[in-house]
Amino acid sequence: MSRAKTLRGQLIAWLVGPLVVLWSISTVIDYDIAKRFVNLAYDRTLLETALDIGRQVRVINDRIYVDLPDVALQMLKTRESERLYYLVSGPGSEFITGEPDLPPPPDASTDRVRYYDDAYRGRLIRVVALRVPVQPGTGKGAVLIQVGERMTLRTEFARQIILRMALPQGLLILAAALAVWYGVRRGLAPLVNLRAEIEQRSHRDLSALPAEQAPQEVQPVIRAMNDLLSRLSAAISAQQRFIADAAHQLRTPLAGIKTQTELALRNSQSDDVQATLRQLHTATEQTTRLVNQLLSLARAEPGARKEHATERLDIVKFLRDTTTEWVPRALERGIDLGFDGPEAAVHVEGNAFLLREMLNNLLDNAIRYTRHGGQVTTRVTPDTRRVVLSVEDTGPGIPERERERVFERFYRVLGTGAEGCGLGLAIVREIAQSHGAEIALDANAAGSGTVVRVSIPRSA
Amino acid sequence: MRILIAEDDPVLADGLMRSLRQADYAVDCVAAGDQAEHVLLAQTYDLVILDLGLPRLDGFEVLRRLRHRGSKVPVLVLTARDAVDDRVRGLDLGADDYLTKPFDLPELEARVRALIRRGQSGGGSTLSHGALKLDTAGRRATLKGVSLDLSARELGVLEVLMHRSGRVVNKEQLAEQLYGWDEEVGANAIEVYVHRLRKKLEPAGVTIRTIRGLGYLLDKPEHE
Repeated sequence: MSRAKTLRGQLIAWLVGPLVVLWSISTVIDYDIAKRFVNLAYDRTLLETALDIGRQVRVINDRIYVDLPDVALQMLKTRESERLYYLVSGPGSEFITGEPDLPPPPDASTDRVRYYDDAYRGRLIRVVALRVPVQPGTGKGAVLIQVGERMTLRTEFARQIILRMALPQGLLILAAALAVWYGVRRGLAPLVNLRAEIEQRSHRDLSALPAEQAPQEVQPVIRAMNDLLSRLSAAISAQQRFIADAAHQLRTPLAGIKTQTELALRNSQSDDVQATLRQLHTATEQTTRLVNQLLSLARAEPGARKEHATERLDIVKFLRDTTTEWVPRALERGIDLGFDGPEAAVHVEGNAFLLREMLNNLLDNAIRYTRHGGQVTTRVTPDTRRVVLSVEDTGPGIPERERERVFERFYRVLGTGAEGCGLGLAIVREIAQSHGAEIALDANAAGSGTVVRVSIPRSA
Repeated sequence: MRILIAEDDPVLADGLMRSLRQADYAVDCVAAGDQAEHVLLAQTYDLVILDLGLPRLDGFEVLRRLRHRGSKVPVLVLTARDAVDDRVRGLDLGADDYLTKPFDLPELEARVRALIRRGQSGGGSTLSHGALKLDTAGRRATLKGVSLDLSARELGVLEVLMHRSGRVVNKEQLAEQLYGWDEEVGANAIEVYVHRLRKKLEPAGVTIRTIRGLGYLLDKPEHE
């Protein structure tokens, strides 16, 4: 798996890499320049020394002497703790004084001052060579004076210069890298915020992302994303509208079939026909329920949500009223339906239509799966921060291993004998989620039947 | 009794028509809004069953024009939509009742009976529940023609229960009704009235059920 490159890493690499290369090249060039100036300065003193020696050349009885006083000699030999070497030779290259084995200049014939590097006693040395006339105007020729010194000092000096130049530059690069690292982090902060914003979002929230705080470069991305979100939301809405329209369209023909079947059931005398008609009637009821639930689901899903604003509801009254509506149906099936809740109002923030849809589905399930003579009870149990709405029945219950699956669409618990299409609890979950509520499915206190608890945050 | 059905689905219209004819109503059927408008101008009906999704002229418009002309004929609206807005709009425009498709035939028939009765009596003063009758103006109740010995408060409770027969009446609604007689009507007092009423009516087969935590319900009579 390849790791995606970070913007910060790339920026730093592209900044620091070339800088280091440039820095190295400049250090090499600087070293060269430093060495040249060091040479220039040292060469001048070397020449001064050679000229000093030249001034001491004397001719006594046609013999050439160099009259160096002891002090001067001592000074010559130890300059700045580095040895100086010298050699004075006559016009005919005859040895006069100094170190006889000092390497001769590469081109001994010219009169010009020459500098050259050579090895002497295993060390690198720099030498100046010049010719000085023995006695100007006498035509006695000129002596050759060579003064050399070890290179060590110059190299050391050049190295120190280069060190003092390169070190601040290196620190500058380091500082630049740090500045980039920090700057990029600061610059990317809005992107990090954006990521957090997207991560925290629920899948139901298709509203536009905030673009105001993002830097200009990022804004086109956010705009494109918002555009995508709005198209997605429109597509979902269109799909939901289609389902809703289809469900509406199905209701009229269903009403026709149902009315005709009920009419025929009333008028038919034959047992056979009656049996067929009853089956037909059951099928129509099931289809009706399916259509109604598809409609609820289309409404409860994200995208449709913006059509349903929330309001502050007294959930006690709300559950009591909803339960009341189911009493005739429960009585018809010989079920004792009741309500239990506090006297005082408990408020939640929610959409009345969707919450009613959710409770209707829970009550429908409870009444549908409870046998004649059974009990169904709805309850409101307020807590400090949440309020639990529960629907409890004495039906067959849901086996523990199936409790999670029943919330899936079109999932049905086998062997219950009741007709259902398996959308009810999917709708319940969809609506509960849109209200920040949690659902739990359990057996009742006696260990049988089913209790569905929906825990909704209370509003202030 | 003449009923107009304005419904464009032929299967549903036919079913409605035949069931109502069996109940001895005279029934006319139209399948479009403009036709409904047309026959409503020419003929007087005791009830109109109106589908909202009619072609050419929708049900809302038919209803609006009908009420605009000052007609007081009861209108039962049928709709495939159950959006609360539609319901409110229909009732605002002057519909008397409302049924969402698909519906139970007995439910429709019960609403039709209730609407026709209301239309005839003009908000009449006699409530009837099987053999039990309550004269709300004369403040007396009879069972199979025999006068029942009920106190004013018991009559008040019975009136509310009969008004909402087959549906739950909660204690607040009962307390509200009795407020005129008593300064303060507690939940316990209501239980006492219901208990007495129950004793007096039960021998005649009229049952008042207690619905846990919700209130009371007068069972629908076996034969209406």
